[in-house]
Amino acid sequence: MKNFLKVLCFSLLVITLFAGYANYGIPQIEPALPPVEEKLELGTMTMEKFIKLGERLYNGKGTCTLCHNPTGGRAPLLASAATVAAERLQDTRYQGKASSVVDYLYESMVEPSAYVVSGFGKAGSNDTESPMPNVAANGIDLSDAELKAIIAYLQDLAGADVTVSIPTDAAPTEAKEETANPPPTPRTALDTPAAIIAKFTCGACHKVADQVGAVGPDLTTIGATRDKAYLRRSLLDPNADAAAGFMAGMMPNIYSEQMSAKELEMLVDYLAGLK
Amino acid sequence: MKMPRLLQAVLVVVGIYAGFILVFDYLLGQVIPSSLLSMYMFFVIAGVFMVYTYTEESARELVAPIKALVEDPGKKRLRNVVFIIVPLLVAGFTYQRMSPSFEAPVELRSIHPAPPATVKAYGKRFNLATLENPFRQYEKSDPDKFRALVREGGDIYIQNCQYCHGDKLDGRGPYAAGLNPTPLNFQDVGTIAQLQESFLFWRIATGGPGLPKEAAPWISSMPVWQDFLTEDEIWKVILFLYDYTGRRPRSWEHE
Amino acid sequence: MTINSPRSNNRARRVWLAFLCLSLLLILFAIGLPGVDGGLAHAAEASTSDVADAPTYLPAPKLTAADYPTIKGVNSRIAVWLAAQLHLWFAAFVLAVPIFVFIIEAIGMATRDKRYDNMAYEFIKVSITAYSFTAILGGLLTFLLVLFYPHLFQYMSTIFKESMFYYALLFFLESATLYLYYYGWHWLQGEFRKWVHLSLGLLLNAVGTLLMFLANAWVTFMMSPAGVDPAGVFSGDAWAAIHNFLWNPINLHRVIANIAYGGSIVGAYAAFKFLSARKPEQRAHYDWMGYNANFIAISALLPLPFAGYYLTAEIYAYSQQMGITLMGGVFAWLFIIQAVLIGTLFLSANYYLWCGMGRSDGAVRYHKYIKYLAIVIVGAFLVWFTPHTLVLTNEELKALGGPYHKYLGPLGIMPAKNTAVNIMILFTTLSFIFYRRANKVATVSWASAGNAIQIALFTAGILNIFFLGIYHGYFTNTVYKVAASIPQVLTTLTIIVSSTIIDSLMYRGAKEVAPLHWGRVSDRSQYALFLLAVAFTWLMGLMGYIRSGIRQHWHVTNVFRDASPDAFTPGLGYAANVVSVGTILFMAMVIFVFWIADVSGRKTPTDAYWKTPSA
Repeated sequence: MKNFLKVLCFSLLVITLFAGYANYGIPQIEPALPPVEEKLELGTMTMEKFIKLGERLYNGKGTCTLCHNPTGGRAPLLASAATVAAERLQDTRYQGKASSVVDYLYESMVEPSAYVVSGFGKAGSNDTESPMPNVAANGIDLSDAELKAIIAYLQDLAGADVTVSIPTDAAPTEAKEETANPPPTPRTALDTPAAIIAKFTCGACHKVADQVGAVGPDLTTIGATRDKAYLRRSLLDPNADAAAGFMAGMMPNIYSEQMSAKELEMLVDYLAGLK
Repeated sequence: MKMPRLLQAVLVVVGIYAGFILVFDYLLGQVIPSSLLSMYMFFVIAGVFMVYTYTEESARELVAPIKALVEDPGKKRLRNVVFIIVPLLVAGFTYQRMSPSFEAPVELRSIHPAPPATVKAYGKRFNLATLENPFRQYEKSDPDKFRALVREGGDIYIQNCQYCHGDKLDGRGPYAAGLNPTPLNFQDVGTIAQLQESFLFWRIATGGPGLPKEAAPWISSMPVWQDFLTEDEIWKVILFLYDYTGRRPRSWEHE
Repeated sequence: MTINSPRSNNRARRVWLAFLCLSLLLILFAIGLPGVDGGLAHAAEASTSDVADAPTYLPAPKLTAADYPTIKGVNSRIAVWLAAQLHLWFAAFVLAVPIFVFIIEAIGMATRDKRYDNMAYEFIKVSITAYSFTAILGGLLTFLLVLFYPHLFQYMSTIFKESMFYYALLFFLESATLYLYYYGWHWLQGEFRKWVHLSLGLLLNAVGTLLMFLANAWVTFMMSPAGVDPAGVFSGDAWAAIHNFLWNPINLHRVIANIAYGGSIVGAYAAFKFLSARKPEQRAHYDWMGYNANFIAISALLPLPFAGYYLTAEIYAYSQQMGITLMGGVFAWLFIIQAVLIGTLFLSANYYLWCGMGRSDGAVRYHKYIKYLAIVIVGAFLVWFTPHTLVLTNEELKALGGPYHKYLGPLGIMPAKNTAVNIMILFTTLSFIFYRRANKVATVSWASAGNAIQIALFTAGILNIFFLGIYHGYFTNTVYKVAASIPQVLTTLTIIVSSTIIDSLMYRGAKEVAPLHWGRVSDRSQYALFLLAVAFTWLMGLMGYIRSGIRQHWHVTNVFRDASPDAFTPGLGYAANVVSVGTILFMAMVIFVFWIADVSGRKTPTDAYWKTPSA
């Protein structure tokens, strides 16, 4: 028994020495954490999947089809955008800095006014200002990688060679929202109707405040014909009763989630007051 | 009279310790790192212990003075002194080690961090496993062109790199003294001679900010050269680095 | 058995040798034809010949953290890690013991020394309980994998369905052979039956090795996948998946390491029995057993570094990224720990040999050389664990003018380490030669010439190793740097083999100056055997961590991503702690195994308990 204990102590001592050396005798380097899932997915993503991602974004998160669709006529169709882009670069009206198709398409999404297709400009701007919001911000918030995925989709859609490269060191894409679902950081409610209209880019479609959108109904005197309940309902459920002459399903059904109750009431009050 | 074996053993250990310090710190002028020296001494002591205890007689002789100190009634006074001094020494040592000092914490940087599989530079992706120096082929096929390329690489080096890495490529350029970590010494056999050219391309193109986490802290002041040099210029500089130092890039193919 | 005349004895031996060869061939065929390879070849054929019927395989699934089941309070990775490691330790032990039991039994048959047979029997007795532990832990590992990593297990089993099926079936053969080998030991004695028994031992080893190779294929597939496309779609060629890039290097490395490991565990068993033995003849027996086990462990330990270099070179050849992950960056420090541990192994093995010289009074003649051996071995060891990246305080940094040490820096890279390890191995061989000579004096006429040849051989070899290491290591390009390690190894092996041959010829019929007293060895030396076993176990755990760790966050490298919360690569301290816990668990189980082996031999008098038959 005595021998057994001696051997046991000896062995434990040896193990402790080894473990101690590994813990304290050598510098502890913390290995890098595995690369973030989304980032890595891009890294190993095939172009085919990247295009698929672009398509999903185009029809979903990017809200592009809201305007770029054959029925509304409020924005140019993009089926051949990637091939047309080359001509656009040569166009004298072109204001931007892009020198390649990819750059042009990218620019058109973050700086829509760089080139406005004739007939699609903001009313009264003589096609120098685009009604399209910057999709990298304004609540759409596409990341760099997502914008590139959309470019890939557009190039593929046009039957052109996909020249955009798949980025890897990108901010997390939509996958993050689907899986990780981070708690939304509460936004401080906006305090003026003008700020709300600017924030939610109402003016892209509607003529309201100082905005001159022409896609949706003119709201400059909306308070004269509609009551607050109707206005509230139109904001919360835009398709409940679409105005005559305007197609249902055009206005995004997002405000019930994105607007705070305070903002909603303020906006309704404001609109109801426009007579 | 024969020296007691315990004293002999202690003297051997102390002698080796002093020898290390003497040789490295004074004769060679390159201090021996204390962390390494303590590991060295641990195993030197283990070795001395082995040599002094592999026979029964020798082992008995070695521990005899210790045994006598503990058991011999005639050594009571000495025993009491030792039993007070030893714990005091241990306590003093522990205090020394534990008391906070003004010394900055030791920072450790991996000299060769593991490269990523691919690296993005110049808006392109490079696969580091297969990436090769496009000019290396001329070494065989067109030596004159190769010489010219190396010379161009040398010019680029002198214009951009030598301020830190030195005109002898020894990491002792005019600004080197101000940098920590100090610039890499390409003459050292442990640096570029151990690496493939693709690794150098990665380190030059993405610089300090491109280091992976394990090479943290990211205090390397190596610029991101892809912002200043073209791809070809980097490859030419790499040719020059190997040519001037007389090293060969690591490669798994026989030539 | 009846008395055989020498002539019939010889004939019987020859007949059985022929039978043995034949049965070996048959075994190989049996494995080759209807067995795994056959099945696989068939599967491969089917998939290539009639593509239409070929099953379509899915790509490796893309998982999220939610796909990994969890059990509250259980860390799934550590559970799988420990189960796999414990299974591996036991399996290594259980596979190794029959290898040297077979050798010892053969030695016993050749020398007709009953002691060898008894020792072989005792070895196999120890491993028989360990065998059931191996099976239990293997089952546990499978359950844990199915529980915690169901998608990985499913993916792997689609690719390795044939080999997993035959693997399970082979266990029947393995068990049957092992039990027959063990329980039939005393039954299968005598001229003819002994040969049958030895053949059983051979079969046991063949099946055991095959089992390990199959399991290795699954492990190496995860490291260096083959037979799948980049998305993980299986081509249907199971042989390609098995015969992946790292399969053979791992097979070689594991076979050698298993032998060394088995030797060290049996050595610890003998040491423990020695320490608790009361009678002198018991002490003598266990001393002798410990010596033999240690001899086996060291013989296998000597070529192990070379197998390790081969494996590392192959990993580099497979993927530079994996190679640098292995040798640079985070894991660079692991090799410093590894160097410390292997150095510990060498030091304790040498110490055991030096202590063992005390068994004969004739050893005094060699005592004066021991200190030089110690100086060289410790010196080589110090070079070996000098790290490439030195840990420097700021003051040292300033004094050196940078992180590069002019004299210690060059010791941090491979050529210096190769040289050091070769020197260490050579001097361990020298220790062994001294040990062998301890009680003898050569009587052959050319004894002094023989000594001179050996001295010349060692001197030339050492000079050659230094030349190769220094010249090729520091003054030529990298291709030769790596290539130089091969002639170094060859030099070392040549010296070991030729000096052993010269020595055995020289000491044939040598005069014994002082008898060898088995059992006359210090208790201290037995602790060297424990140190050997513990260091070996711990080292295997550590290397298991890095083998698995270089995959980083992949289940199957670059094909199947690990999306579990535990996908991160643990730091060295963390890994060392898990390995330490594993080692303690393993030791507890091994102690139980040894104790059971001991209990089976005990008897309590029961006369008063049972009623006497009224006859």
